[in-house]
Amino acid sequence: MGDSQYSFSLTTFSPSGKLVQIEHALTAVGSGQTSLGIKAANGVVIATEKKLPSILVDETSVQKIQTLTPNIGVVYSGMGPDFRVLVRKSRKQAEQYYRLYKEPIPVTQLVRETAAVMQEFTQSGGVRPFGVSLLVAGYDDKGPQLYQVDPSGSYFSWKASAMGKNVSNAKTFLEKRYTEDMELDDAVHTAILTLKEGFEGQISGKNIEIGIIDADKKFRVLTPAEIDDYLAEVE
Amino acid sequence: MSISEYNGSALVAMVGKNCFAIASDRRLGVQLQTIATDFQRIYKIHDRLLVGLAGLATDAQTLYQRLVFRHKLYQLREERDMKPETFASLVSALLYEKRFGPYFCQPVIAGLSDEDKPFICTMDSIGAKELAKDFVVAGTASESLYGACEAMFKPDMEPEELFETVSQALLASVDRDCLSGWGGHVYIVTPTEIKERILKGRMD
Amino acid sequence: MKLDTSGFESTAPLFGASSELRDGFSNAPSFDLPVTADFDEFQKEAKATLKHAKGTTTLAFIFKEGVMVAADSRASMGGYISSQSVKKIIEINPYMLGTMAGGAADCQFWHRNLGIKCRLHELANKRRISVTGASKLLANILYSYRGMGLSVGTMIAGWDETGPGLYYVDSEGGRLKGTRFSVGSGSPYAYGVLDSGYQFDMSVDEAAELARRAIYHATFRDAASGGVASVYYVGPNGWKKLSGDDVGELHYKYYPVMPSTVEQEMVEVAGQ
Repeated sequence: MGDSQYSFSLTTFSPSGKLVQIEHALTAVGSGQTSLGIKAANGVVIATEKKLPSILVDETSVQKIQTLTPNIGVVYSGMGPDFRVLVRKSRKQAEQYYRLYKEPIPVTQLVRETAAVMQEFTQSGGVRPFGVSLLVAGYDDKGPQLYQVDPSGSYFSWKASAMGKNVSNAKTFLEKRYTEDMELDDAVHTAILTLKEGFEGQISGKNIEIGIIDADKKFRVLTPAEIDDYLAEVE
Repeated sequence: MSISEYNGSALVAMVGKNCFAIASDRRLGVQLQTIATDFQRIYKIHDRLLVGLAGLATDAQTLYQRLVFRHKLYQLREERDMKPETFASLVSALLYEKRFGPYFCQPVIAGLSDEDKPFICTMDSIGAKELAKDFVVAGTASESLYGACEAMFKPDMEPEELFETVSQALLASVDRDCLSGWGGHVYIVTPTEIKERILKGRMD
Repeated sequence: MKLDTSGFESTAPLFGASSELRDGFSNAPSFDLPVTADFDEFQKEAKATLKHAKGTTTLAFIFKEGVMVAADSRASMGGYISSQSVKKIIEINPYMLGTMAGGAADCQFWHRNLGIKCRLHELANKRRISVTGASKLLANILYSYRGMGLSVGTMIAGWDETGPGLYYVDSEGGRLKGTRFSVGSGSPYAYGVLDSGYQFDMSVDEAAELARRAIYHATFRDAASGGVASVYYVGPNGWKKLSGDDVGELHYKYYPVMPSTVEQEMVEVAGQ
């Protein structure tokens, strides 16, 4: 283990200039379930697999896509519990912004704040980096927006992106399918098809989640019934 | 004498058609003693947002510095100017932070929105917002200003007429107030420019 | 005890010269005293409630040609300007003026009262009362009400057989003879101009201008003074009103060139 002697502290660089703890966090993300997002001309869609450890788990009790503000939603790949911590912090941040300015927090601001939290956890004592990457979908005065935030705290705006187990396949698929003038409905179809690519077993409204937001600036998670309708259209 | 009447002030903002006016007197006094007659209590936040701070001058200046500080941070973070409504909420929040040891200031906020819609508002020293469609007043001459504005205001005035109205209202009002006057400052803000004028007035 | 209305009665002591003399000399309080258990506390309260802003500037000075008297014309209630056209120089008789600072009602009433007494003195003695005598009449009356809340700060200026006379009299019982006085909240500013510009050898015009300037400067600095600067002159032939200038216009007469725009930037604050 060449790296291991440099992994006692996450704030110590290895001789090759890496923070190995962050690399490990990215590995955790890479082995997580696939999530993806597409920014359409009139909205954004985010989607994820929802594979449960056992068929005995009540799938309605698991919500992988969460709402941060009425106009911003988020999905993750990686560790579920870490995600919930970030969601709680982000919601608090959004609420504080709203209480101060009486105006909904812009997507970029919330993403930046969230990314700052994630960065802080790469540089503080007694903590570890978050084992998640986030896809943040929102719609504000600047139109539809899609951001990906990584454990290091870096973030980028994407037209379409994917993460988790099937990143490379999914990204290649999205690169082929993506067009600038795509409508939201098309984007939902593309999202489903992309998930389907690397999906093990039969895809259904119960084992994937989809969240959308359009010009009405209301983020919502589709019900299994709605997903099934989309699935029917795709087939 | 109340601490918010220590320096004396008169402030008024009025709405016109796609424009607004904000005006103040020029006196800085210490109770009955006039110290300066070129005092400014209206400040520019950005090209279409002005704030006037009536009340205790030292608190007004401190509060202004904090407002500029917060607005600059906002500009850097969000790469845009604050909307007047947003700025008003910020002022209100900053004032309430000092609920039990307030700044002795009554702010008047006036701005143009991105759609050129004028916005005016005032609040008390602990941040209770009061929005108005026509005019707002503040300071030791506020009673007289209410009367003058009530009588002289007309909706949808053009910039020139607005200037005339707000100036007359200000000069008439400070003539009934010992602690304000000694000339006036008037700002007329249109979508394209801020026009600043200094009014001659009674110097007693 | 009742209000002393003896001064108003036309059948005032026609012969009792001695009682007339005493009347002016020791005037007992003639208003009803308040019904109260604690008179000391009443006096305190009365003083507190009636000690309103003496928002005024008045001045008077003796010079070669006589006495110059000047005043502003503002009346204020707290910060509110209730009038810009108050007559603060009271004409007691053709040879005597009184100035008004403090409670308007107190000043007006007791000056009128003094006017009556002076006229009675004139009728009884076939000669005008001296400024010394008149001011002493007033001072004695005010002294008899001392501590009961009267608020008067006045100057009695006039011309009598001895020439020009000037006294300062107040409701605390004070009475001072002098050649230069200023009374009211604006008096420090007026004194500044007056003291630096005063010379005994001034002409009437020069003296009038000095008085006017002193009042103007007081109205400029003192928020409670303003309106019109009135100037009176008392000479051997009685008083004469010389001028009444609106200080709103006077300022631009004295300083016609307005400095352009903002003279003084608050650099560290406005430095955007």
